[in-house]
Amino acid sequence: MFRLNEEFCALANHCVHQGGPVCEGQVSGTLAPDGEGGLCYEREGEVVSCPWHGWEFDVRTGEALADRNYRQPTYEVVVEDGTVYVEA
Amino acid sequence: MSEQTARAVADLDVVVDCDAHVTEHQDDLLPYLDEPFASALATDVDDSYGYISSFYPSAGFLTPVNTGKAEGKSVRSSAEVREGMALLDTNRVVLTPTQNLYLGCVQHPELAAALGHAYNEWLLDTMLDPDEGLYGACVVAPQRPAAAAAEIDDRADEDGICAVFLPSGGVTPLLGKRQYDPIYEAAERADLPVMMHNAAGTMLLSFPNLFQGFDRYLSSHAPVHAMQHMAHLSSMLTKGTPERFDIDFIIQEAGIGWIPYFTRRFDHEYRAKREDAPMLEKLPSEYVSDQFYFTSQPVEGTGDPDYVASMVELMGPESLLFSSDYPHLDFDHSADLFRVLRSRLGETAARNVYGETALEVFGF
Ligand code: FES
Repeated sequence: MFRLNEEFCALANHCVHQGGPVCEGQVSGTLAPDGEGGLCYEREGEVVSCPWHGWEFDVRTGEALADRNYRQPTYEVVVEDGTVYVEA
Repeated sequence: MSEQTARAVADLDVVVDCDAHVTEHQDDLLPYLDEPFASALATDVDDSYGYISSFYPSAGFLTPVNTGKAEGKSVRSSAEVREGMALLDTNRVVLTPTQNLYLGCVQHPELAAALGHAYNEWLLDTMLDPDEGLYGACVVAPQRPAAAAAEIDDRADEDGICAVFLPSGGVTPLLGKRQYDPIYEAAERADLPVMMHNAAGTMLLSFPNLFQGFDRYLSSHAPVHAMQHMAHLSSMLTKGTPERFDIDFIIQEAGIGWIPYFTRRFDHEYRAKREDAPMLEKLPSEYVSDQFYFTSQPVEGTGDPDYVASMVELMGPESLLFSSDYPHLDFDHSADLFRVLRSRLGETAARNVYGETALEVFGF
């Protein structure tokens, strides 16, 4: 489960690559081109990296940043009366 | 495309040899050398590769040509090009150099640019003849990217120039560095593909310690062509060269089996190390299949058709261009690969590899 400001996202913990514990990995941003030939750091807080091999996933969609053919399953998150529910 | 069934290479309407070498000698180049080098080098010379060959650093291998066991055939006129075409049943060639395969390692950068320029003058003046199927690649010296770009701009509209030729052997730093961008920009403006070709004697010049172990022609030639291309390709992919330039690249003379290995290995690691190649917007292998082509010679393992067919299938037959490398000592005759492709992958795939794909890549 990840919290992006007011938004909650839930990802499966079993990595689509080789089964590592994705959700125990670091949440961070990522390097990207800055449009002027250099690099910038973007999407702070929106990327989780599986600690086994470092695959980066978009915490919202579960997509592997490097290869959209791989997607970490996501779950619907509902907030009701201050309680957060994950639809399994 | 002809309706007629093609049982042999000679039955094809289009057969493009994407790596047919000329063997330019000192006497061919000197008359085309610009100042100040024309005056600086105006001296009596023999009719041989001559003293200018010492400007082109080489590891100096003992080769079967040196020992007289392989024929060092001369290709210094369009008539001699046609002899090779007749031998191999080809009807179009993309002419590539021999001495200037070593151009990327010439120490004197201005001289390197001048030698490339002289070669192109000679090629245009004496060799190219598109009506007869004789096309050529414009050679540029990576040591002087701005001069290389000007050379490409000058040659882009010449009849018969169908590619830019980057002598990639031993070139340091690797070809993904930003310093080479003017070359790629010019190729993009000219709408020409970029051919990358190493030479045995140059490939390890920038890796002197490694070179100590590769002290034979065989030990160097067999593995290092692919190693050198993997190094340049890795550099170009991590720096986003194919994302930043809308050009095709043609990787030459390294065989085929390393390609499915390299693309899979690179994708495999990219998935975990994407921040090392943040310019890329798709998988490295997708750039390779969209923008990189590979010339076939030397096809390893033609005695084992199962191997060749599966490697070609794994690398993607649409990325493969037939080439002979004639008249160099390890040239491939056109018949061998054709037989395997036709029987294992079908006639359409064979036609594509033997010329139809090249028609598109070179825009003949
Ligand atoms: S198991 Fe998650 S990155 Fe390899």
